[in-house]
Amino acid sequence: MKKQTYIYRSFERFWHWSQALLIFFLMLTGFEIHSSYKLMGFQNAVKWHNMAAWAFLVLIIFAIFWHFVTGEWKQYIPTSKFVKEQFRYYISGIFKGAPHPTKKTRYNKLNPLQRLIYLGLKLLVIPVQVLSGFIYMYYIYPNNPIHSSMGTIAVIHTIGAFTLILFVIAHVYLTTTGETVFTSIKAMLTGWEVVDVDEKEEHIKHMKDAVEKSVAGYYRLDKNGIFTDVNAAWLKMFGYKNKDEVIGKHYSIVREEKYMNRLDELVANVLKGNKIIGIPAIRKNKDGSSGKHILSANPITEGGEITGLEGFVLDINESDDYSQHMYDAVRNSRAGYYRLNSDGYFEDVNKAWLELYKYEDKKDVIGKHYSFSRCEEDLKNLDDIFKRVTVNGETISSIIATRKCKDGTKGKHLLSANPVYKQDKIIGMEGFILNLPEEK
Amino acid sequence: MKYMKSKYDFYKLLATFIFIMLPWLFALIYNVYYKKDPYQAKIMVQNYNTDTLTGADHSKFKELQKDFKSPQEVTETCLSCHNNRGKEFMHTEHFQWLKKDSIPGRGNFEMGKRNILNNFCIGINSNEQLCSMCHAGYGYGNKNFDFTNQDNEDCLICHDNTGTYKKSNPCAGPNLPGAGNPSPGVNLSAVAQHVGFPKRNNCLSCHGVGGGGNNVKHGDLEMALNKCTRDIDVHMASKDAKDNNMSCQKCHRTTNHNIKGELAMVSSSPKNGISCVDCHTDHPHTDKLLNNHFRQVACQTCHIPTYAKVNPTKIYWDWSSAGKLKNGKTLQYEKEITADDTICKSGDYILAEDLPNLKSRDNFENVKLEYNGKHGTAVFANNLKPEYIWSNGYFDHQFISDKITDTIHPLILNKPFGSYKDNRYPSDKKHPSKIIPVKIMRGKQIYDKGNMNLIQPKLAGKIKGSGAYWVDFDWQASASEGMKYLNLPYSGKYSFIETESIWPINHMVSPKEKSLTCEECHSHNSRLAALTGFYLPGRDRSVIVDKGGVILIILALIAVLIHAIIRIINRKKTTH
Repeated sequence: MKKQTYIYRSFERFWHWSQALLIFFLMLTGFEIHSSYKLMGFQNAVKWHNMAAWAFLVLIIFAIFWHFVTGEWKQYIPTSKFVKEQFRYYISGIFKGAPHPTKKTRYNKLNPLQRLIYLGLKLLVIPVQVLSGFIYMYYIYPNNPIHSSMGTIAVIHTIGAFTLILFVIAHVYLTTTGETVFTSIKAMLTGWEVVDVDEKEEHIKHMKDAVEKSVAGYYRLDKNGIFTDVNAAWLKMFGYKNKDEVIGKHYSIVREEKYMNRLDELVANVLKGNKIIGIPAIRKNKDGSSGKHILSANPITEGGEITGLEGFVLDINESDDYSQHMYDAVRNSRAGYYRLNSDGYFEDVNKAWLELYKYEDKKDVIGKHYSFSRCEEDLKNLDDIFKRVTVNGETISSIIATRKCKDGTKGKHLLSANPVYKQDKIIGMEGFILNLPEEK
Repeated sequence: MKYMKSKYDFYKLLATFIFIMLPWLFALIYNVYYKKDPYQAKIMVQNYNTDTLTGADHSKFKELQKDFKSPQEVTETCLSCHNNRGKEFMHTEHFQWLKKDSIPGRGNFEMGKRNILNNFCIGINSNEQLCSMCHAGYGYGNKNFDFTNQDNEDCLICHDNTGTYKKSNPCAGPNLPGAGNPSPGVNLSAVAQHVGFPKRNNCLSCHGVGGGGNNVKHGDLEMALNKCTRDIDVHMASKDAKDNNMSCQKCHRTTNHNIKGELAMVSSSPKNGISCVDCHTDHPHTDKLLNNHFRQVACQTCHIPTYAKVNPTKIYWDWSSAGKLKNGKTLQYEKEITADDTICKSGDYILAEDLPNLKSRDNFENVKLEYNGKHGTAVFANNLKPEYIWSNGYFDHQFISDKITDTIHPLILNKPFGSYKDNRYPSDKKHPSKIIPVKIMRGKQIYDKGNMNLIQPKLAGKIKGSGAYWVDFDWQASASEGMKYLNLPYSGKYSFIETESIWPINHMVSPKEKSLTCEECHSHNSRLAALTGFYLPGRDRSVIVDKGGVILIILALIAVLIHAIIRIINRKKTTH
C-alpha cells in the first residue's frame, strides 16, 4: 500500500541542503587550493574554504544532536539483508522495470545500500575530512604537536575529497531512479513523498489508537497473573485513577474471594492457549463496590510461547438493556446445567435440569450414561455432539434436542455444550439446556 | 501529485531556504563590505623615530677654515674635536675589512673583504690599489697598510653632505692617485665644512657600485635608490613629498660607528643583523592567515617580488673566456640575448634559458651579454625574480685555504646553513630558518687544479710584466703572483671551476599592493619549486591520488551515462 507521507522533516531538509551546498562549495574552493583550476584566487579560496569548514562543523554538531534526539540515527543501522538484491536491482532489474527490492517507508527511509554508504560517509569520510581539514588549517601554527606529516594530512584530505565527489556523482544520479526522475529531489525539497506504508505497522498503530481511545477497558497480564498494562477506560471502570495503582499487582485485586476460583480457572485456561470470547463477570472495584462486565481474554504469544494474556472488559450498566438481559438470561433463567465425564457419564446436574427431566433426586441421574436421556432415534445426535465436543474440542452454542423424561414423555430444549478441561486435557463436557415450549 | 499541502508548507519551505542562504549572505556581505581590505589597513610601525635636531653647521668652525694639504689632515682636524671617534671607528669592518665571526661547526674566524673570495672580482689581495677605492681609509695599497693609524681613516666618504667627494680610480687614467685617496679635483675644505649624518648617496657610492659598476654586485642596491619612486623601494622613495625618504641608518641602526647589518658573503652569523620585525612586529598583517606565514617565510620573500628594478645587475661571470684581444686591444662587445643563445664562449656551452636566475623569467627583454677581454663573459639583466633558499642567517665560507672536493657540481662560496628541518627544529632559536629571496651569482673562476683550492689572481696593475692579468693577460703569471703575495703555495696548474655565491635580497621592498600574490608560490608554477622536502599547498600533490581520483571520476561519469542511456532505451521499449 502506498500513501503520500511526510518523510523528511524540516530540520532534516535544512541539514541535507545546507550540507549539499557546503560540500559543493568546499569542493569548489578546495580544488582551487589544490591548484586544479583558477577561479576566485588562492587567497579567497583559502578564506572561503576555512569559513565553510567552520559552518560545516557547526552543522554537523546540530545534525548529530538531531539524529540522537529524534532517534533517526537508527535509520543508518546497517543490514546485510537485501544488499545484494538492491545492488542487482541497480545493475539489471531497473532496466527491466522490476520493482524496487526494498520498500521505502517512514520508518525505513533508506535502502540497505544507502544505509551502508551513508553510514560510511558519516562515520568515516566526513570525520576524516573534518579532522584532517582542521589539522591542515592549524598545522602552521608554532609549537603544534604534529610534526613533519603535513603532506600525509593533505593527501588524506585529497583522497577524502575525491571520495566525496564520487559519492556526489552516484548520489545525484541515483536520485533519478525514483518514481519519476525528480520524485526524490522533490521529496527532499518538500518533505512529502508517496512511499510504502507497512500494513502491519499501520494496523498496530490503528489498534493502539483504538485501544487508547476505546470505551472498552483493556488489560494485559503476564503469565503470573500480574497486570502489565491497562487503559484509561479500564481504570475508570474499576475506579482507579492511575495506572501505577494497578500495574505490578496480581489480578486477585479485582475479584471478591467467592468469584476467585472462576477467574483462576479462566486465567489458567487462557494461558493454555484458549480464547474466551465474552463471559459475564462480577468485578471488585477499588472502593470495594462491585460491578458487572463482560470479559474477553486471549493469550499473548511471543516466539511461540505464551507469555501472558490480554483482553477487554465491557461494562454492563443498568441502563444497558441488552447486555442486562443477556446476563439475566444466563444467570437467572431456568436453564438446566449438566456435566458429563469423558466417558459420557453424568457427574453433575442442577435443580432446573432435574425439573425438566422430571426427576426428584440427583442420585437418580449421577453415574448414569447420557444415553438414558434420549430415545433410540435421538441418541445418534447426542453421540455426535458428545464426540464433537470431547474429541474435537468444539463449543456448541445452541442445538435443538429432544429429551426423554423419567416418565417416558418427550420434551424439546435448546442445548449448549462445551468441553471441560483439566490442564490441556478434555475431561468431559458441560452445558446448559433451555426448555422449548410445546408448539401449539 | 500534490507537493504543497498548504500555503503553510510553502512558507515553511521558504523559511528553510532562507535559513540556509542567510549565513552565506552575511558572510558575503561581511567579506565584501565590512572586512578591512588588507591593503587599506594602516601599517603599524614600532621603535621608529625621525630626527628632530639638525646637526651643527660645520662651515662656522674655525678649525675647518683652511686649505687642507692632504686628506689625512682633514681626518686629524675632525678627530681634534670628535676625539673618541677615531678609536671607535678603527675597530669597525668599514676600516678593518675584517671581523670576528663564528661558523657553526667550524669555530671562530676572522673574516671580511681582506680574506674572502667571491665570484665577481674574486679578491682584494694584490689588487688593493684599485679595491680600496671603497675603503673608508687612505693609503690601503697593500697588505702592509697600518690599520692602527687613526689619521688613515676616511671620514668624508661617509659624512660628506655635498655629494662632491670622490675617491680616485687609479685605473681610469695615467698618474692618478690610488689606494683610497680622494680624486684630484676634490675641494677638501669645502667638503669638510659640509659634513653631517650620512645620506643614502654616501652609502650607495660604495654599496651600490660593488663589482665594478652600478648595481653589478647586489642587484637590490644601486644609485637609482638616491631618488626613486615607491614602486622601486617604499622606504627609500623620495620622488614624492609624501614618500618615506628614509636614510640607510633608519634600518641599519648605528651606535658608536657600529652599523647594524650583515652580508651573507662576508659574515657567517646574524649576530649583528637587522630585521623588518624591528619596526613592523611579527604580526604586521590584518589577515591572520598571512601572519601565520611568519614562522616559515621571511617578509622579503613576498614583499620583494623582483630586484634590479631599474638598472641591470650581473648574474653570470665567466672568467675562463677572458683574454681575447683584437688588434692588440682587448676585445669588447655587448649584445641582447634571447633564451636559446649560448652564453659561454669557452669550455662548456650553456643556453641562456638554463641559467637558473633567468629560468622563471616571462620574457628575455633587457637580458644582455657583455664580453670584455679583461673580464670574460658576463650576463646582465634587470627586473629579476629572486631565487629562494632556506636561511637561518648562518653561512659557511670557502676560504682560500679550504680544499675543493667536488668539481662536478658548482662550488658554493657561501653555503647557507638553513634548511626546512632547521625551521622545524632551529639550531638557533632566535633565528629559525626561513625562506628568503636571494640573488645567486654564478660564474667560473680560477682554481688550483693541483692543490685543489681557489686562487687569488693578481688582476689590477699598470706595469707590463708585473703579472697583473689586465695588463699581461696571462693566467699563469696572475695566479702565481697573487698566491705569492699571500705566501700561499701554487701548484702551477690552474683551471676554472663553476662557483655560486648567495646574496640575500633585502632592499627594493615593493608597495604592499605589489607584493606577491598567493599563487606565486601556491601553484604548480611555484616560485618555490626548487625548495623541496616539505608539502606546500597548491604546489604539491600526490600524483597517484590525483590521477587515480580523476580516473575514478571519469569512470563514474561514464558508468552513470551508460546506466542512464540503457534506462532511457528500455523505457521507450516498454512504453511502445
